[in-house]
Amino acid sequence: MKLHLFLVAASSERKRSLMRTIMASAITSSLNRYMAAVGEQVSFATQFGRNIFRNGFEWNEFLRQCYIVGVKSISLVAVSGFIIGFVLTLQTQPTMKQFGAESFVPGMVAISIVREIGPMIIALICTGKIASSIGAELGSMKVTEQIDAMEVSSANPIQYLVVTRILACTLMVPLLTVMADALAFVGGWLGVNTQGHVSATLFFRKAFAALEFSDMIPAVVKTFFFGFAIGFVGCYKGYHASRGTESVGLAANSAVVTASLWIILLDAIAVQITNLLYY
Amino acid sequence: MEQETIEQKELDTEQVPEDGVVIRIEHLKKSFGGNEVLKDINLELHKGENIVVLGRSGQGKSVTIQCIAGLLEPDEGKLEVLGKEIASLNEDELKDLRTKIGFLFQSGALYDSMTVRENLEFPLTRVLQIKDKQELTKRVEDALDSVGLKDAIDKYPSDLSGGMRKRVGLARTLILRPQIMLYDEPTTGLDPITAREISELIVTLQEKYETSAIIITHDMPCARITADRIVVMNDGKYIATGTYDELSKSPDELINNFFK
Repeated sequence: MKLHLFLVAASSERKRSLMRTIMASAITSSLNRYMAAVGEQVSFATQFGRNIFRNGFEWNEFLRQCYIVGVKSISLVAVSGFIIGFVLTLQTQPTMKQFGAESFVPGMVAISIVREIGPMIIALICTGKIASSIGAELGSMKVTEQIDAMEVSSANPIQYLVVTRILACTLMVPLLTVMADALAFVGGWLGVNTQGHVSATLFFRKAFAALEFSDMIPAVVKTFFFGFAIGFVGCYKGYHASRGTESVGLAANSAVVTASLWIILLDAIAVQITNLLYY
Repeated sequence: MEQETIEQKELDTEQVPEDGVVIRIEHLKKSFGGNEVLKDINLELHKGENIVVLGRSGQGKSVTIQCIAGLLEPDEGKLEVLGKEIASLNEDELKDLRTKIGFLFQSGALYDSMTVRENLEFPLTRVLQIKDKQELTKRVEDALDSVGLKDAIDKYPSDLSGGMRKRVGLARTLILRPQIMLYDEPTTGLDPITAREISELIVTLQEKYETSAIIITHDMPCARITADRIVVMNDGKYIATGTYDELSKSPDELINNFFK
Protein backbone atom coordinates (compact mmCIF):
# COMPACT_ATOMS: atom_id res chain seq x y z
CA MET A 1 0.00 0.00 0.00
CA LYS A 2 2.81 2.38 1.00
CA LEU A 3 4.71 1.48 -2.14
CA HIS A 4 1.62 2.20 -4.28
CA LEU A 5 1.13 5.65 -2.66
CA PHE A 6 4.83 6.39 -3.15
CA LEU A 7 4.61 5.50 -6.84
CA VAL A 8 1.50 7.67 -7.35
CA ALA A 9 3.20 10.61 -5.59
CA ALA A 10 6.35 10.17 -7.67
CA SER A 11 4.35 9.97 -10.85
CA SER A 12 2.35 13.16 -10.14
CA GLU A 13 5.60 14.92 -9.17
CA ARG A 14 7.07 13.90 -12.55
CA LYS A 15 3.94 15.21 -14.32
CA ARG A 16 4.19 18.54 -12.49
CA SER A 17 7.87 18.78 -13.32
CA LEU A 18 7.13 18.00 -16.97
CA MET A 19 4.35 20.62 -17.04
CA ARG A 20 6.71 23.20 -15.52
CA THR A 21 9.34 22.42 -18.16
CA ILE A 22 6.80 22.68 -21.01
CA MET A 23 5.43 25.97 -19.68
CA ALA A 24 8.91 27.42 -19.14
CA SER A 25 9.90 26.41 -22.66
CA ALA A 26 6.70 27.93 -24.15
CA ILE A 27 7.23 31.19 -22.25
CA THR A 28 10.91 31.36 -23.27
CA SER A 29 10.11 30.72 -26.92
CA SER A 30 7.29 33.35 -26.93
CA LEU A 31 9.60 35.83 -25.24
CA ASN A 32 12.33 35.10 -27.80
CA ARG A 33 9.90 35.62 -30.68
CA TYR A 34 8.63 38.85 -29.12
CA MET A 35 12.16 40.18 -28.56
CA ALA A 36 13.15 39.24 -32.11
CA ALA A 37 10.10 41.12 -33.46
CA VAL A 38 10.93 44.17 -31.33
CA GLY A 39 14.53 44.01 -32.55
CA GLU A 40 13.37 43.83 -36.18
CA GLN A 41 11.08 46.83 -35.69
CA VAL A 42 13.83 48.88 -34.06
CA SER A 43 16.16 48.00 -36.92
CA PHE A 44 13.45 48.96 -39.45
CA ALA A 45 12.89 52.28 -37.68
CA THR A 46 16.65 52.92 -37.72
CA GLN A 47 16.79 52.21 -41.45
CA PHE A 48 13.88 54.61 -41.96
CA GLY A 49 15.68 57.35 -40.00
CA ARG A 50 18.97 56.81 -41.83
CA ASN A 51 17.40 56.89 -45.27
CA ILE A 52 15.17 59.97 -45.05
CA PHE A 53 17.59 62.31 -46.77
CA ARG A 54 20.24 59.85 -47.93
CA ASN A 55 21.38 60.83 -51.45
CA GLY A 56 18.46 63.23 -51.90
CA PHE A 57 14.78 62.77 -51.32
CA GLU A 58 12.19 60.96 -53.45
CA TRP A 59 9.92 64.00 -53.94
CA ASN A 60 7.90 62.57 -56.83
CA GLU A 61 7.08 59.36 -55.01
CA PHE A 62 6.36 61.29 -51.81
CA LEU A 63 3.85 63.52 -53.62
CA ARG A 64 2.29 60.50 -55.31
CA GLN A 65 1.86 58.86 -51.92
CA CYS A 66 0.39 62.07 -50.47
CA TYR A 67 -2.16 61.93 -53.28
CA ILE A 68 -2.95 58.25 -52.65
CA VAL A 69 -3.06 58.54 -48.85
CA GLY A 70 -4.59 61.99 -48.61
CA VAL A 71 -6.63 62.95 -51.66
CA LYS A 72 -8.03 59.46 -52.27
CA SER A 73 -9.21 59.24 -48.65
CA ILE A 74 -11.05 62.56 -48.66
CA SER A 75 -14.52 61.24 -49.52
CA LEU A 76 -14.42 58.45 -46.92
CA VAL A 77 -13.07 60.72 -44.19
CA ALA A 78 -15.45 63.57 -45.08
CA VAL A 79 -18.55 61.38 -44.92
CA SER A 80 -17.35 59.76 -41.68
CA GLY A 81 -16.57 63.12 -40.07
CA PHE A 82 -19.95 64.57 -41.03
CA ILE A 83 -21.86 61.55 -39.70
CA ILE A 84 -19.86 61.47 -36.45
CA GLY A 85 -20.88 65.07 -35.70
CA PHE A 86 -24.47 64.51 -36.77
CA VAL A 87 -24.95 61.31 -34.72
CA LEU A 88 -23.13 62.67 -31.67
CA THR A 89 -25.51 65.64 -31.59
CA LEU A 90 -28.60 63.49 -32.07
CA GLN A 91 -27.50 61.18 -29.25
CA THR A 92 -26.62 63.86 -26.72
CA GLN A 93 -29.21 66.56 -27.39
CA PRO A 94 -32.21 64.81 -25.68
CA THR A 95 -30.21 64.19 -22.49
CA MET A 96 -28.86 67.75 -22.43
CA LYS A 97 -32.43 68.99 -22.95
CA GLN A 98 -33.57 67.09 -19.83
CA PHE A 99 -31.03 69.02 -17.77
CA GLY A 100 -31.90 72.30 -19.46
CA ALA A 101 -28.39 72.44 -20.87
CA GLU A 102 -29.29 72.43 -24.57
CA SER A 103 -27.24 75.54 -25.18
CA PHE A 104 -24.11 73.60 -24.21
CA VAL A 105 -24.55 71.10 -27.06
CA PRO A 106 -22.34 72.99 -29.58
CA GLY A 107 -19.52 73.31 -27.04
CA MET A 108 -19.81 69.69 -25.96
CA VAL A 109 -19.79 68.49 -29.56
CA ALA A 110 -16.79 70.69 -30.36
CA ILE A 111 -14.73 69.52 -27.39
CA SER A 112 -15.56 65.83 -27.86
CA ILE A 113 -14.84 65.94 -31.55
CA VAL A 114 -11.64 67.96 -31.43
CA ARG A 115 -10.09 66.35 -28.39
CA GLU A 116 -10.88 62.70 -28.85
CA ILE A 117 -13.54 61.40 -31.21
CA GLY A 118 -12.25 63.08 -34.37
CA PRO A 119 -8.58 62.08 -34.11
CA MET A 120 -9.31 58.61 -32.81
CA ILE A 121 -12.03 57.56 -35.23
CA ILE A 122 -10.37 59.11 -38.27
CA ALA A 123 -7.09 57.41 -37.34
CA LEU A 124 -8.86 54.06 -37.07
CA ILE A 125 -10.64 54.63 -40.39
CA CYS A 126 -7.30 55.54 -41.99
CA THR A 127 -5.78 52.41 -40.49
CA GLY A 128 -8.40 50.30 -42.24
CA LYS A 129 -7.92 52.04 -45.53
CA ILE A 130 -4.25 53.04 -45.63
CA ALA A 131 -2.32 50.59 -43.45
CA SER A 132 -4.01 47.64 -45.14
CA SER A 133 -3.34 49.04 -48.59
CA ILE A 134 0.34 49.75 -47.83
CA GLY A 135 0.74 46.33 -46.20
CA ALA A 136 -0.81 44.58 -49.19
CA GLU A 137 1.10 46.64 -51.76
CA LEU A 138 4.53 46.15 -50.21
CA GLY A 139 3.68 42.54 -49.34
CA SER A 140 2.84 41.88 -52.95
CA MET A 141 6.04 43.63 -54.10
CA LYS A 142 8.01 41.44 -51.69
CA VAL A 143 6.36 38.25 -52.90
CA THR A 144 6.88 39.10 -56.58
CA GLU A 145 10.54 39.95 -55.86
CA GLN A 146 10.15 43.61 -56.86
CA ILE A 147 11.78 44.75 -53.60
CA ASP A 148 14.65 42.31 -54.13
CA ALA A 149 15.02 43.66 -57.67
CA MET A 150 15.39 47.19 -56.31
CA GLU A 151 17.92 46.00 -53.77
CA VAL A 152 20.12 44.12 -56.24
CA SER A 153 20.09 47.03 -58.66
CA SER A 154 21.61 49.17 -55.88
CA ALA A 155 18.54 51.38 -55.73
CA ASN A 156 17.35 52.10 -52.22
CA PRO A 157 13.96 50.42 -51.58
CA ILE A 158 13.72 51.79 -48.04
CA GLN A 159 14.09 55.35 -49.28
CA TYR A 160 11.79 54.92 -52.26
CA LEU A 161 9.06 52.73 -50.75
CA VAL A 162 9.17 53.12 -46.99
CA VAL A 163 10.31 56.68 -46.26
CA THR A 164 7.86 58.20 -48.74
CA ARG A 165 4.87 56.22 -47.46
CA ILE A 166 5.56 56.83 -43.77
CA LEU A 167 6.10 60.56 -44.28
CA ALA A 168 3.00 60.85 -46.48
CA CYS A 169 0.89 59.20 -43.76
CA THR A 170 2.47 61.39 -41.07
CA LEU A 171 1.54 64.50 -43.02
CA MET A 172 -1.82 63.49 -44.45
CA VAL A 173 -3.55 61.93 -41.42
CA PRO A 174 -3.49 65.22 -39.43
CA LEU A 175 -4.85 67.12 -42.46
CA LEU A 176 -7.62 64.56 -42.94
CA THR A 177 -8.45 64.77 -39.23
CA VAL A 178 -8.73 68.57 -39.31
CA MET A 179 -11.01 68.31 -42.33
CA ALA A 180 -13.12 65.62 -40.65
CA ASP A 181 -13.39 67.74 -37.49
CA ALA A 182 -14.66 70.69 -39.53
CA LEU A 183 -17.26 68.53 -41.26
CA ALA A 184 -18.27 67.02 -37.92
CA PHE A 185 -19.11 70.56 -36.77
CA VAL A 186 -21.32 70.96 -39.84
CA GLY A 187 -22.92 67.58 -39.07
CA GLY A 188 -23.44 68.71 -35.48
CA TRP A 189 -25.13 71.90 -36.60
CA LEU A 190 -27.49 69.97 -38.91
CA GLY A 191 -28.15 67.51 -36.05
CA VAL A 192 -29.20 70.34 -33.77
CA ASN A 193 -31.47 71.68 -36.49
CA THR A 194 -33.38 68.42 -36.76
CA GLN A 195 -35.05 69.34 -33.46
CA GLY A 196 -35.39 73.07 -33.76
CA HIS A 197 -33.77 76.03 -35.43
CA VAL A 198 -30.28 77.18 -34.50
CA SER A 199 -28.43 79.51 -36.85
CA ALA A 200 -25.02 78.44 -38.15
CA THR A 201 -23.45 81.62 -36.73
CA LEU A 202 -24.75 80.90 -33.25
CA PHE A 203 -23.79 77.23 -33.37
CA PHE A 204 -20.23 77.84 -34.57
CA ARG A 205 -19.73 80.82 -32.24
CA LYS A 206 -20.73 78.67 -29.26
CA ALA A 207 -18.66 75.73 -30.51
CA PHE A 208 -15.47 77.75 -30.97
CA ALA A 209 -16.03 79.65 -27.71
CA ALA A 210 -15.83 76.35 -25.86
CA LEU A 211 -12.51 75.42 -27.48
CA GLU A 212 -9.11 76.48 -26.23
CA PHE A 213 -5.64 76.01 -27.66
CA SER A 214 -5.04 73.38 -25.00
CA ASP A 215 -7.80 71.35 -26.66
CA MET A 216 -6.57 71.76 -30.19
CA ILE A 217 -2.77 71.59 -30.05
CA PRO A 218 -2.37 68.22 -28.28
CA ALA A 219 -5.17 66.77 -30.42
CA VAL A 220 -3.43 67.82 -33.64
CA VAL A 221 0.01 66.79 -32.41
CA LYS A 222 -1.13 63.27 -31.59
CA THR A 223 -2.53 62.79 -35.09
CA PHE A 224 1.02 63.14 -36.47
CA PHE A 225 1.97 60.17 -34.28
CA PHE A 226 -1.12 58.28 -35.42
CA GLY A 227 -0.16 58.93 -39.04
CA PHE A 228 3.39 57.79 -38.40
CA ALA A 229 2.13 54.61 -36.71
CA ILE A 230 -0.19 53.83 -39.64
CA GLY A 231 2.59 54.30 -42.21
CA PHE A 232 5.25 52.54 -40.17
CA VAL A 233 3.19 49.47 -39.31
CA GLY A 234 1.83 49.17 -42.87
CA CYS A 235 5.33 49.36 -44.34
CA TYR A 236 6.87 47.06 -41.75
CA LYS A 237 4.26 44.35 -42.20
CA GLY A 238 4.39 44.54 -45.99
CA TYR A 239 8.17 44.73 -46.20
CA HIS A 240 8.54 41.66 -43.99
CA ALA A 241 5.87 39.55 -45.67
CA SER A 242 7.11 36.02 -46.18
CA ARG A 243 6.97 34.37 -49.59
CA GLY A 244 3.62 33.21 -50.95
CA THR A 245 0.40 34.89 -51.90
CA GLU A 246 -1.24 34.06 -48.56
CA SER A 247 1.28 36.29 -46.80
CA VAL A 248 0.00 39.34 -48.72
CA GLY A 249 -3.42 39.01 -47.09
CA LEU A 250 -1.80 38.28 -43.74
CA ALA A 251 0.40 41.38 -44.05
CA ALA A 252 -2.63 43.59 -44.78
CA ASN A 253 -4.66 42.08 -41.96
CA SER A 254 -1.86 42.19 -39.45
CA ALA A 255 -1.08 45.81 -40.43
CA VAL A 256 -4.63 46.87 -39.56
CA VAL A 257 -4.72 45.00 -36.24
CA THR A 258 -1.29 46.17 -35.09
CA ALA A 259 -1.75 49.78 -36.22
CA SER A 260 -5.14 49.95 -34.46
CA LEU A 261 -3.57 48.74 -31.24
CA TRP A 262 -0.75 51.24 -31.63
CA ILE A 263 -3.23 54.07 -32.10
CA ILE A 264 -5.21 53.15 -29.00
CA LEU A 265 -1.98 52.88 -26.99
CA LEU A 266 -0.63 56.18 -28.36
CA ASP A 267 -3.93 57.87 -27.57
CA ALA A 268 -3.79 56.68 -23.96
CA ILE A 269 -0.23 58.03 -23.66
CA ALA A 270 -1.20 61.32 -25.35
CA VAL A 271 -4.10 61.85 -22.92
CA GLN A 272 -1.81 61.30 -19.95
CA ILE A 273 0.79 63.72 -21.29
CA THR A 274 -1.89 66.35 -22.10
CA ASN A 275 -3.33 66.07 -18.59
CA LEU A 276 0.13 66.46 -17.09
CA LEU A 277 0.91 69.50 -19.23
CA TYR A 278 -2.38 71.42 -19.12
CA TYR A 279 -4.45 70.34 -16.15
CA MET B 1 30.62 67.53 -64.13
CA GLU B 2 27.51 65.35 -64.07
CA GLN B 3 28.70 63.57 -67.23
CA GLU B 4 32.06 62.96 -65.51
CA THR B 5 30.30 61.30 -62.57
CA ILE B 6 28.33 59.03 -64.87
CA GLU B 7 31.44 58.08 -66.83
CA GLN B 8 33.39 57.49 -63.64
CA LYS B 9 30.68 55.17 -62.33
CA GLU B 10 30.66 53.28 -65.60
CA LEU B 11 34.46 53.05 -65.67
CA ASP B 12 34.39 51.65 -62.17
CA THR B 13 32.51 48.67 -63.51
CA GLU B 14 35.60 47.49 -65.41
CA GLN B 15 37.26 45.69 -62.52
CA VAL B 16 38.30 42.09 -63.05
CA PRO B 17 40.77 40.26 -60.77
CA GLU B 18 44.11 39.32 -62.39
CA ASP B 19 43.36 35.60 -62.39
CA GLY B 20 40.17 36.28 -64.39
CA VAL B 21 37.92 34.67 -61.77
CA VAL B 22 34.93 36.95 -61.29
CA ILE B 23 33.11 34.75 -58.77
CA ARG B 24 34.83 32.35 -56.39
CA ILE B 25 32.77 30.22 -54.00
CA GLU B 26 34.44 27.94 -51.44
CA HIS B 27 32.64 25.60 -49.05
CA LEU B 28 29.47 27.67 -49.03
CA LYS B 29 26.77 26.53 -46.60
CA LYS B 30 23.29 27.88 -45.99
CA SER B 31 20.45 26.57 -43.84
CA PHE B 32 16.86 27.69 -43.28
CA GLY B 33 15.78 26.64 -39.81
CA GLY B 34 16.94 23.06 -39.53
CA ASN B 35 16.95 22.52 -43.29
CA GLU B 36 20.48 22.58 -44.71
CA VAL B 37 19.98 23.72 -48.31
CA LEU B 38 23.56 24.38 -49.39
CA LYS B 39 25.95 21.84 -47.92
CA ASP B 40 29.29 22.46 -49.57
CA ILE B 41 29.26 24.59 -52.70
CA ASN B 42 32.48 25.27 -54.58
CA LEU B 43 32.55 27.17 -57.86
CA GLU B 44 34.68 29.48 -59.99
CA LEU B 45 33.19 31.65 -62.71
CA HIS B 46 35.70 33.09 -65.18
CA LYS B 47 35.38 36.32 -67.14
CA GLY B 48 33.24 35.86 -70.23
CA GLU B 49 32.06 32.42 -69.16
CA ASN B 50 28.46 31.23 -68.93
CA ILE B 51 27.83 28.57 -66.30
CA VAL B 52 24.49 26.80 -66.19
CA VAL B 53 23.48 25.26 -62.86
CA LEU B 54 21.19 22.29 -63.35
CA GLY B 55 19.27 20.58 -60.62
CA ARG B 56 15.88 19.41 -59.51
CA SER B 57 13.47 21.85 -57.89
CA GLY B 58 14.11 22.64 -54.23
CA GLN B 59 17.81 21.83 -54.38
CA GLY B 60 18.93 25.37 -53.52
CA LYS B 61 20.02 26.53 -56.97
CA SER B 62 18.44 29.95 -56.53
CA VAL B 63 19.79 30.25 -52.98
CA THR B 64 23.33 30.21 -54.37
CA ILE B 65 22.78 33.20 -56.64
CA GLN B 66 20.83 35.04 -53.94
CA CYS B 67 23.91 34.68 -51.72
CA ILE B 68 26.06 36.05 -54.56
CA ALA B 69 23.77 39.08 -54.94
CA GLY B 70 23.86 39.68 -51.18
CA LEU B 71 20.14 39.00 -50.76
CA LEU B 72 20.92 36.11 -48.41
CA GLU B 73 23.76 35.77 -45.96
CA PRO B 74 25.65 32.46 -46.09
CA ASP B 75 26.15 30.56 -42.82
CA GLU B 76 29.67 29.43 -43.67
CA GLY B 77 32.19 29.53 -46.48
CA LYS B 78 33.92 32.08 -48.65
CA LEU B 79 32.19 34.05 -51.37
CA GLU B 80 34.24 36.42 -53.51
CA VAL B 81 32.77 38.58 -56.25
CA LEU B 82 35.20 40.54 -58.45
CA GLY B 83 37.91 39.91 -55.86
CA LYS B 84 35.87 41.23 -52.93
CA GLU B 85 34.62 39.01 -50.16
CA ILE B 86 30.90 39.70 -49.73
CA ALA B 87 30.88 39.07 -45.96
CA SER B 88 33.51 41.75 -45.32
CA LEU B 89 31.71 44.53 -47.23
CA ASN B 90 29.84 47.32 -45.50
CA GLU B 91 26.48 48.59 -46.78
CA ASP B 92 27.96 51.15 -49.18
CA GLU B 93 30.58 48.76 -50.53
CA LEU B 94 27.92 46.10 -51.12
CA LYS B 95 25.77 48.67 -52.89
CA ASP B 96 28.73 49.61 -55.07
CA LEU B 97 29.46 45.97 -55.89
CA ARG B 98 25.82 45.31 -56.76
CA THR B 99 26.03 47.84 -59.60
CA LYS B 100 28.37 45.34 -61.27
CA ILE B 101 25.95 42.43 -60.81
CA GLY B 102 22.76 42.03 -62.81
CA PHE B 103 19.99 39.75 -61.57
CA LEU B 104 17.15 38.55 -63.76
CA PHE B 105 14.38 37.22 -61.56
CA GLN B 106 12.18 34.31 -62.54
CA SER B 107 9.12 36.54 -62.91
CA GLY B 108 11.02 39.50 -64.37
CA ALA B 109 10.14 41.42 -61.15
CA LEU B 110 9.04 44.53 -63.04
CA TYR B 111 7.67 47.33 -60.88
CA ASP B 112 3.90 47.10 -61.37
CA SER B 113 3.13 50.75 -60.73
CA MET B 114 5.59 52.00 -63.37
CA THR B 115 5.58 51.91 -67.16
CA VAL B 116 8.33 50.07 -69.00
CA ARG B 117 10.11 53.41 -69.54
CA GLU B 118 9.96 54.22 -65.80
CA ASN B 119 11.12 50.71 -64.94
CA LEU B 120 14.23 51.22 -67.04
CA GLU B 121 14.80 54.79 -65.90
CA PHE B 122 14.60 53.76 -62.25
CA PRO B 123 18.15 52.32 -61.94
CA LEU B 124 19.56 55.02 -64.23
CA THR B 125 18.28 57.89 -62.09
CA ARG B 126 19.01 56.22 -58.74
CA VAL B 127 22.31 54.49 -59.40
CA LEU B 128 23.99 56.42 -62.23
CA GLN B 129 22.26 59.66 -61.12
CA ILE B 130 21.38 60.57 -64.72
CA LYS B 131 18.86 63.43 -64.73
CA ASP B 132 19.02 64.60 -68.34
CA LYS B 133 15.75 63.57 -70.06
CA GLN B 134 17.31 63.11 -73.50
CA GLU B 135 20.11 60.95 -72.14
CA LEU B 136 17.60 58.85 -70.22
CA THR B 137 15.37 58.36 -73.24
CA LYS B 138 18.34 57.42 -75.43
CA ARG B 139 19.58 54.82 -72.99
CA VAL B 140 16.11 53.38 -72.38
CA GLU B 141 15.41 53.14 -76.11
CA ASP B 142 18.79 51.52 -76.78
CA ALA B 143 18.20 48.95 -74.04
CA LEU B 144 14.70 48.14 -75.28
CA ASP B 145 15.99 47.96 -78.84
CA SER B 146 18.55 45.36 -77.82
CA VAL B 147 15.77 43.10 -76.52
CA GLY B 148 13.46 43.91 -79.45
CA LEU B 149 10.77 45.72 -77.45
CA LYS B 150 11.08 49.37 -78.38
CA ASP B 151 7.32 49.59 -79.02
CA ALA B 152 6.46 48.58 -75.44
CA ILE B 153 8.09 51.64 -73.93
CA ASP B 154 4.90 53.23 -72.59
CA LYS B 155 3.11 50.05 -71.60
CA TYR B 156 2.56 48.83 -68.05
CA PRO B 157 3.90 45.41 -66.98
CA SER B 158 0.32 44.12 -66.71
CA ASP B 159 -0.05 44.72 -70.47
CA LEU B 160 2.93 42.49 -71.30
CA SER B 161 3.16 38.74 -71.86
CA GLY B 162 5.47 36.54 -69.76
CA GLY B 163 8.16 36.54 -72.44
CA MET B 164 7.96 40.31 -72.88
CA ARG B 165 8.25 40.82 -69.13
CA LYS B 166 11.42 38.77 -69.08
CA ARG B 167 12.84 40.75 -71.98
CA VAL B 168 12.06 44.03 -70.24
CA GLY B 169 13.53 42.62 -67.01
CA LEU B 170 16.65 41.72 -68.97
CA ALA B 171 16.84 45.21 -70.49
CA ARG B 172 16.43 46.81 -67.05
CA THR B 173 19.21 44.63 -65.68
CA LEU B 174 21.58 45.26 -68.55
CA ILE B 175 21.01 49.01 -68.64
CA LEU B 176 23.57 49.42 -65.83
CA ARG B 177 26.12 47.43 -67.89
CA PRO B 178 26.88 44.81 -65.22
CA GLN B 179 29.93 42.59 -65.47
CA ILE B 180 28.20 39.57 -64.02
CA MET B 181 24.68 38.36 -64.83
CA LEU B 182 22.72 36.02 -62.60
CA TYR B 183 19.67 34.44 -64.27
CA ASP B 184 17.08 32.73 -62.10
CA GLU B 185 15.21 30.29 -64.35
CA PRO B 186 14.96 32.69 -67.30
CA THR B 187 12.79 30.41 -69.44
CA THR B 188 10.44 28.95 -66.84
CA GLY B 189 6.77 29.34 -67.73
CA LEU B 190 7.43 30.24 -71.36
CA ASP B 191 6.41 28.36 -74.49
CA PRO B 192 9.28 26.54 -76.28
CA ILE B 193 9.61 29.18 -79.02
CA THR B 194 9.78 32.13 -76.63
CA ALA B 195 12.07 30.15 -74.32
CA ARG B 196 14.43 29.58 -77.23
CA GLU B 197 14.30 33.29 -78.15
CA ILE B 198 15.17 34.26 -74.57
CA SER B 199 18.04 31.75 -74.49
CA GLU B 200 19.43 33.11 -77.75
CA LEU B 201 18.99 36.65 -76.46
CA ILE B 202 21.04 35.78 -73.37
CA VAL B 203 23.91 34.61 -75.61
CA THR B 204 23.63 37.63 -77.93
CA LEU B 205 23.66 40.08 -75.04
CA GLN B 206 26.49 38.25 -73.33
CA GLU B 207 28.58 38.71 -76.46
CA LYS B 208 27.51 42.34 -76.85
CA TYR B 209 28.12 43.40 -73.27
CA GLU B 210 30.92 40.88 -72.50
CA THR B 211 29.29 39.66 -69.32
CA SER B 212 29.94 36.51 -67.33
CA ALA B 213 26.85 34.64 -66.20
CA ILE B 214 25.43 32.02 -63.89
CA ILE B 215 22.17 30.66 -65.26
CA ILE B 216 19.90 28.64 -63.02
CA THR B 217 17.60 26.42 -65.03
CA HIS B 218 16.20 22.95 -65.56
CA ASP B 219 15.33 23.72 -69.15
CA MET B 220 17.71 21.61 -71.22
CA PRO B 221 17.36 23.49 -74.54
CA CYS B 222 18.22 26.69 -72.63
CA ALA B 223 21.24 24.96 -71.06
CA ARG B 224 22.41 23.72 -74.46
CA ILE B 225 22.17 27.16 -76.06
CA THR B 226 23.63 29.24 -73.23
CA ALA B 227 26.15 27.07 -71.37
CA ASP B 228 29.91 27.12 -71.78
CA ARG B 229 29.99 24.82 -68.77
CA ILE B 230 27.27 23.01 -66.86
CA VAL B 231 27.29 22.26 -63.15
CA VAL B 232 24.86 19.67 -61.79
CA MET B 233 23.53 20.19 -58.29
CA ASN B 234 22.10 17.53 -56.03
CA ASP B 235 21.48 17.37 -52.29
CA GLY B 236 23.05 20.78 -51.62
CA LYS B 237 26.29 20.03 -53.48
CA TYR B 238 27.66 20.33 -57.00
CA ILE B 239 28.17 16.74 -58.09
CA ALA B 240 29.43 17.13 -61.65
CA THR B 241 30.75 19.71 -64.06
CA GLY B 242 31.49 19.70 -67.77
CA THR B 243 30.28 20.82 -71.17
CA TYR B 244 26.83 19.89 -72.44
CA ASP B 245 28.26 17.13 -74.63
CA GLU B 246 30.45 15.72 -71.85
CA LEU B 247 27.65 15.55 -69.31
CA SER B 248 25.12 14.19 -71.78
CA LYS B 249 27.36 11.11 -72.11
CA SER B 250 27.75 10.69 -68.36
CA PRO B 251 27.21 7.14 -67.07
CA ASP B 252 25.72 8.58 -63.84
CA GLU B 253 21.98 7.93 -63.95
CA LEU B 254 21.06 11.11 -62.05
CA ILE B 255 23.01 13.30 -64.49
CA ASN B 256 21.91 11.33 -67.47
CA ASN B 257 18.24 11.78 -66.53
CA PHE B 258 18.51 15.50 -67.24
CA PHE B 259 19.65 14.87 -70.80
CA LYS B 260 17.03 12.26 -71.72
